[in-house]
Amino acid sequence: MKRLASISVLLMLKARAFAVARFPKPDFHSGYQYPDIVHTVPNETFWSWMDLGILTLMLLAAVWAVHRAKSRRIILGISLVSVLYFGFYRSGCVCSLGSIQNVALAIADPGYHLPLVVLLLFLLPLAFALFAGRVFCAGVCPIGALQELVNVRNFRISRPVTVALGVIPWIYLAFAILYAATRSQFIICRFDPFIGIFRMGGDIGMIVFGVLLLLLAVFVGRPFCQFLCPYGALLGLFSRFSARKVEITSPECINCSLCHHACPVDAIRPPSRSSREEAAGKGIKRVLLYLCVLPLLTVGGALLLDSQHDSLSLANKQVRLLHLLQTQEETATLQMAPEVEAFHEMGGDVQVLEEQVGHIRQQFHLWSLLAGGLIGFSVGCRLLRLSVKRTRKTYEIDPVACVACGKCWSYCPQNKSR
Amino acid sequence: MKDRKIYRDLALVTAVFALALAIMLGVSWLQSRRSTPLQSQVLETLKELHESHPENEELASQIRQLDLLSRKAYFTEKSQLKSGVWILCGMAAILAFCLRMYYKDSRTLPGKELPAGDEWQDKTLSRRYLQWGLATGLGVLLLIILSNALQPARFFRQHEAEPLPDVDNYAVLDEETQATEPTQTITEEPEQQAVRPMQSVEAEPQQPVPSAQAAETTPQQPAQNAQASEASRPQQAVQGRPASEEARPSKELPQVATEPSVPLPVVKSRAFRGNYSSGRSSAKGIPTSWDLSSSRNVLWQTAIPRHGYNSPIVSGRKVFVTGADERARELYCFDLFSGELLWTATADNIPGSPGQMPEVNEDTGLAASTAVTNDKQVCAIFATGDLLCTDMEGRRLWARNLGTPDNHYGFASSLQMYGNLLIIQYDNNDKAELLALNVENGAEVWRRNRKDKIAWSSPVIAQVGDKPLIIVMGNPAITAYQPRDGQEVWRVDCMSGEVGASPCYANGIVYGASEYAKAVAINAEDGSVLWEADDCLPECSSPVATKECLYVATSYGAVCAYSAENGKVLRQHELETPFYSSPVIADGKVYLFSNSGKCYIFSADIRFELLNSFDTGEQTFATPAFTDSMMVVRTDKSLYVVRKKE
Repeated sequence: MKRLASISVLLMLKARAFAVARFPKPDFHSGYQYPDIVHTVPNETFWSWMDLGILTLMLLAAVWAVHRAKSRRIILGISLVSVLYFGFYRSGCVCSLGSIQNVALAIADPGYHLPLVVLLLFLLPLAFALFAGRVFCAGVCPIGALQELVNVRNFRISRPVTVALGVIPWIYLAFAILYAATRSQFIICRFDPFIGIFRMGGDIGMIVFGVLLLLLAVFVGRPFCQFLCPYGALLGLFSRFSARKVEITSPECINCSLCHHACPVDAIRPPSRSSREEAAGKGIKRVLLYLCVLPLLTVGGALLLDSQHDSLSLANKQVRLLHLLQTQEETATLQMAPEVEAFHEMGGDVQVLEEQVGHIRQQFHLWSLLAGGLIGFSVGCRLLRLSVKRTRKTYEIDPVACVACGKCWSYCPQNKSR
Repeated sequence: MKDRKIYRDLALVTAVFALALAIMLGVSWLQSRRSTPLQSQVLETLKELHESHPENEELASQIRQLDLLSRKAYFTEKSQLKSGVWILCGMAAILAFCLRMYYKDSRTLPGKELPAGDEWQDKTLSRRYLQWGLATGLGVLLLIILSNALQPARFFRQHEAEPLPDVDNYAVLDEETQATEPTQTITEEPEQQAVRPMQSVEAEPQQPVPSAQAAETTPQQPAQNAQASEASRPQQAVQGRPASEEARPSKELPQVATEPSVPLPVVKSRAFRGNYSSGRSSAKGIPTSWDLSSSRNVLWQTAIPRHGYNSPIVSGRKVFVTGADERARELYCFDLFSGELLWTATADNIPGSPGQMPEVNEDTGLAASTAVTNDKQVCAIFATGDLLCTDMEGRRLWARNLGTPDNHYGFASSLQMYGNLLIIQYDNNDKAELLALNVENGAEVWRRNRKDKIAWSSPVIAQVGDKPLIIVMGNPAITAYQPRDGQEVWRVDCMSGEVGASPCYANGIVYGASEYAKAVAINAEDGSVLWEADDCLPECSSPVATKECLYVATSYGAVCAYSAENGKVLRQHELETPFYSSPVIADGKVYLFSNSGKCYIFSADIRFELLNSFDTGEQTFATPAFTDSMMVVRTDKSLYVVRKKE
């Protein structure tokens, strides 16, 4: 836990490190004693278990609200609690979203001790998704909840665009795993646009990005969840196979289409009405074609990303340091990077560093293969899914896209008459 | 209804303000990222002023206040920026609230008909978008791969460039540079065409002149070689005219053919005594004997238009030397393979350049300082204080006068380069300084006043681990400076008298030796003195060191090998001939020229055995430069290249 917290804190404080580098110590010696650097105290065990307990309770409450009560008010209530507790009070860390990286690191590096709490934080929402759909997204996740609370109006984005952009979370997930497994960066934490808002501080650029996302969320339903969230991609996958899927209404659907218009994430599929007739067998050929393309995309993606593993490995601080050292030596430039200066001042051994970098590069070799394969596979699967015609007689929820926000229930006349 | 209007108006106003604030914050944020508050011109100027007047407390106080103000201003700006972001957050919240209230009771009700959208059409379009996206992504990735493949720069090379050479890794270094550097070829000139245009020089009787000095000399000898200099100087070179016909003594040399076939040398000798003045070269295959009279193992020999005691430097196929007299100060570029004078750059029309030549000792001359290059620019300095920098084709990039040196023998310190810094040890009788200029435009980067007396030594670069240091030897101190800002790292008071030799560095140890003081070994990390000795001390010749030994050549004829560990003399040769030229280690051997032109070759190990010695027939004061299988030697009158002939 300590390590986890330390890594997170270090990543979040990176921006501050730049500010420090810009300000050397004053030239004059005034007798002032510089205080020792003190890192933020990691979460204590009690609070970690407390988080987990509250998460479980909220997930259970969300399941009840989604499947039994079908109440958007309760969902909003849960959202508010989540934003206040997980967001502002607990500063948005550790969250299930970021725990992907810890799990990936634990898989890649047996020497890394994955705290049980973090593992449960990762698994619980997935387990709930497997049984009850994306109830975690409904209001338990503070990021989704914050976007939900500010959402006022939904301007519908073209569905083909939404579907095409839906591949981004998988790419993000692949890179998050790649960088975490190679001990390079926790990019989900580093580029979390809402963490600065929850913590009331941090990198101003990311805070501005977060605010812009929130402004966008006023008019577009949950932009982060739809187009960026890597954990959402996993939850979507699990909820596809969930035992109990989210439903619009228990009574019979009257095809009024109100829910379809209300859904902020365009997760409700209307009754299918294809205007184009297709020759018999054409659809089968198309599916077979995409089935053949799937392994090609997987292998191609793996090989392509692997071909760039050297460039990708520059995200690792050790690799970057060696690269900086070599560049500095080659060009004999005088503007020594702070990292290089620190390395020299600490009496770093280049040979040792080279050995470490060699090992890291091997890891990048393996993990970029896997990450590239994941990207190729996800694109292939998406293409395959899009090549299949579906027949639907009533409005149905797409369990992959649905975040269980409950907006459709409040519009459904059948639901109201229940 | 009225309430709705209020919310609508409020939302509108908030949105406008939020947008304006967001733009302002964005611009301010971008500006603050580039801001470097402590690098203000005023502050820098005041600091420089303070360095020359360290006792001025008022000035120090002013700098403190300014420094504090700069810091305060920066952080106040950051704080304001942060406040602005929170105001923006507040506005966003108000906007969301107002909009929510505005739309509270107006839910969109669709028409009775189902939306016109066709799901299958959507899916088809989605597939197309995905395929386009995929194709674009692939294209971008392939472009990246292609550009990476085309670029010679790679990640994580072992040793591509020519780093500070070390005798211990000669073989590795050479093989690797051969393997990695791009090869450019030229036609090898036919052996029989390697003519020697110095017949008149050869015909001259060799004068037993004990004077004159190599590039770093402390001239004290009588001007006995003046006649020789004058006699050897060709009557040529109209000032300011590039490489005129009469300025080409080797006109009859064969022209370099355009058909390439010989690899361009990769081992360079960019400064006095090699790269960073280490005194060591990774060149291999250097002949251990040659004969100027029969041209055995001599590729070419040519006259240098104007006289100078400076040493040659080599970059690729270009050899640079300088020459000067009362009429002109010139930088010459010769072809390494043919000896053809490729171009001449004249240091003229320089503002501040003295109309009359400063008085210099004959042994020093007006061009005692060796030029320096970084393979892109080449710079030369003369005893007039004229500093000239050209590109590799001889086009002047900039020139400036540093002020006529007040130097009773004549300015003799050679130039040094580190990165884009041109480093000059600019010592005068009243003031000793170390300057760093931007090699691209001649602008001063930093200047340090040294608490030393005048010296004729030259700065060297020591790569201590991966930390570069400029080592300067003066009287009374050997001092290490950071190249980045010229800050003093350590200083050891150990010298005295007139210091003419330059320091050297090897294996974490800085060595200094001067005839009027002692030999000293200093830990380059912290400046602690490891040992001192006074058995064998040089006057003008600079020592060279390996991991095991320090080799010293003296002006009284003794040549010694000290133990690098404890300073004990391991081997001493009494050769009874003065040495002003400095020893250089190449191919596991120490090459050394006596003033009379006798070449001595020793084994570069603790045995320090004399492997060969022979008379070249021409007085030699300069230090030779080494490149692949070749050695470039400047004699008192000519320039020649030694290369083993098949």
